Amino acid sequence: MNESGKTKEFVIDNKFRFGEFLGESSISYRKIRFNDIVPAPSFSEDGKLVPPIQPRIKASPTEAVQILAPYISVRLWDQIVSVVPLALYMAVFQVLILRMAVQDPWVVSVGFFLVIIGLMLFLEGIKQGLMPFAETIGDLLPKKSPLWMVLLIAFLLGIGVTLAEPAVGALKAAGSIVDVHKAPYLYAMLNYHTTAVVLVVGAGVGVAAVLGSIRFLYGLRLKPFIYATTTVTLSLTYYMTGDPALEPMLGMAWDCGAVTTGPVTVPIVLALGIGIASSAGKGGGNLAGFGIVTMASLFPVIGMMLLGIYMAGSLDPQQIVTMASATSAMEPGLLSQTPLAEIITGLRAIVPLILFLFFILRYVVRSEARRTGYMVYGLTLSLIGIICFNIGLSYGLVSLGNQTGAMLPAAFTAVENLAERPLFGYYTGLFIALFFTWALGFSATLAEPALAALGITVENLTNGAFSKKNLLYTVALGVAFGVTMGLLKIIYGIPLGYLIIPGYLVCFMLTALSSEEMANVAWDSAGVTTGPVTVPVVLAIGLGFGSAVDAVEGFGILALASVGPIIAVLGMGLVVNRKVATSHGR
Amino acid sequence: MEEKEIFVLTDVSLITCIVQRGLADIVVNAATDAGAQGGTVYFARGYGIRERLGTLGVAIEAEKEVIMIVVSDEQADRVFERIYTTARLSTPGMGIMFVSRLEKAATYIPPEVIANMRRNRRKALGENG
Repeated sequence: MNESGKTKEFVIDNKFRFGEFLGESSISYRKIRFNDIVPAPSFSEDGKLVPPIQPRIKASPTEAVQILAPYISVRLWDQIVSVVPLALYMAVFQVLILRMAVQDPWVVSVGFFLVIIGLMLFLEGIKQGLMPFAETIGDLLPKKSPLWMVLLIAFLLGIGVTLAEPAVGALKAAGSIVDVHKAPYLYAMLNYHTTAVVLVVGAGVGVAAVLGSIRFLYGLRLKPFIYATTTVTLSLTYYMTGDPALEPMLGMAWDCGAVTTGPVTVPIVLALGIGIASSAGKGGGNLAGFGIVTMASLFPVIGMMLLGIYMAGSLDPQQIVTMASATSAMEPGLLSQTPLAEIITGLRAIVPLILFLFFILRYVVRSEARRTGYMVYGLTLSLIGIICFNIGLSYGLVSLGNQTGAMLPAAFTAVENLAERPLFGYYTGLFIALFFTWALGFSATLAEPALAALGITVENLTNGAFSKKNLLYTVALGVAFGVTMGLLKIIYGIPLGYLIIPGYLVCFMLTALSSEEMANVAWDSAGVTTGPVTVPVVLAIGLGFGSAVDAVEGFGILALASVGPIIAVLGMGLVVNRKVATSHGR
Repeated sequence: MEEKEIFVLTDVSLITCIVQRGLADIVVNAATDAGAQGGTVYFARGYGIRERLGTLGVAIEAEKEVIMIVVSDEQADRVFERIYTTARLSTPGMGIMFVSRLEKAATYIPPEVIANMRRNRRKALGENG
């Protein structure tokens, strides 16, 4: 780089040839008058200014590369950072500690590659194609429609976004691993009634969206909502824990809450909620936008438990078992074969949501879709993205997670099909397995992009007393211990209720002690931690592990991973508050 | 009044640079490398070239970051050039930058700098008188 400051001093004292000076300074200035570039104004006959036609800019191929390269690389890198370390961690652990080669390494690698590409395309597509829809609707709908209509649409939208959530696919994939003889209702739920499951979960999110919007509208506090919802959820849990036929479904029901709050639901539901609040003139306040995530992760749990109770009342377990053995003997139909099945799931996830949003925009809000080109582009991307993601999910994430999960018990106990096991003594091996999951939960949480955004909000809310880094590590620790508890639950077959109910009771007490702001942040942090990469991996590990140690089911890890951060953040918040109070001399 | 004097900076320019969201850090770093003291960043939205680029427009973010950098007149060109090259402003859609002369500015000036300048001025006065 030139040092024009220095050159200037020389120029004053000595004479230099101008060419030499130009050679020194790498940049030469060429002046262009802006007037020469701007098109001259043209007037119509009656003297009105005719808006000039802006000429298209034709980018040369090199320029096109210069524009596209950063566009793609930034988005690709975001996904690589969240996926690759996790995959490597699992693979390295499997090879070095468990001394087992990764099965079908090429298939798994291609699967992971597809997950990265798929997530990149999907998220960019949602941003370009769906978000403008949701924002326009959130802005205009409350102005043009009566409240009941707005709330009805919020409810329906909740269902729509749940269908489109990529992690929901993982839940369905998990169904095939459940043992029909031990948990017939769970098996039936995940294999024959997936549509009902997804709809119930969606309805839960819908109710959450409605309540969240009402809360925004009237500026209600979140705490009473938390008390009311958790009381219902915990009583149902308590009831189901007591019934041996219902108990196996608890883990899945609670895990659903973590699955729903992903990269589609959160921004779209929030856009709607905030739009409703701001058009009612209540948009202010730094807490706007909190709480919906919390409720969107609690209501689906209630929904699933009710569905479970209903199914147990209406279905005969013997019938399910015979049905299961009949289907497993059948050849898989054309529609359930690999690429086609994923394409159909992809279409089923995105298309209804698009149609629904478009319908509302066109006939309820009566607004023209702006920038149609961008929307088509975005929707195409998200469609291709979710198909890639779904294929990668089955071959990469779920496959590797399942493998690792199935081999993990080999560290401390004898596993069939594997001779010369266990590898280590019981307690050493158990410690290794627990440490593996602990570190997995910790690192996967730190990589979650949504958490960083929450961290910044918290830092602003507390005027820096609760720093972003502090929150990141607190939440990650919470998840890590939660996941470890989940593993212990599977190993020793502890009923989930015994862990969840005390966990949430602690949350209850801490919430009562905490400020409204802290309560908002802490409860939301639980939903934020479980993104589209973490959820399938943790689910798969749990299920693989569960079937290897002969557990009834491998669900529940995610549920415990949600309690952990709530307790951790609330506790940390109290400590920070205490510190601030003492430093002010009280 | 408690404040007895205000130190006013003269010969200042403002460089304003508008780039796509997420690129402000690069611009501020380039500017500080070239001698600027720091920068202020805020979010904005911008339209125009995105629509005129046709299909390629999807690669350009409508969300922008605006960076304000106050520099001394002598630094202005150096910082200007450095930002231009690092932010690749010659590529379509990457952003725009402009320089405006400021009448005066005031901010924190380290006391030792002021003391030093006072000493120099006194010395110069002493030599003249």
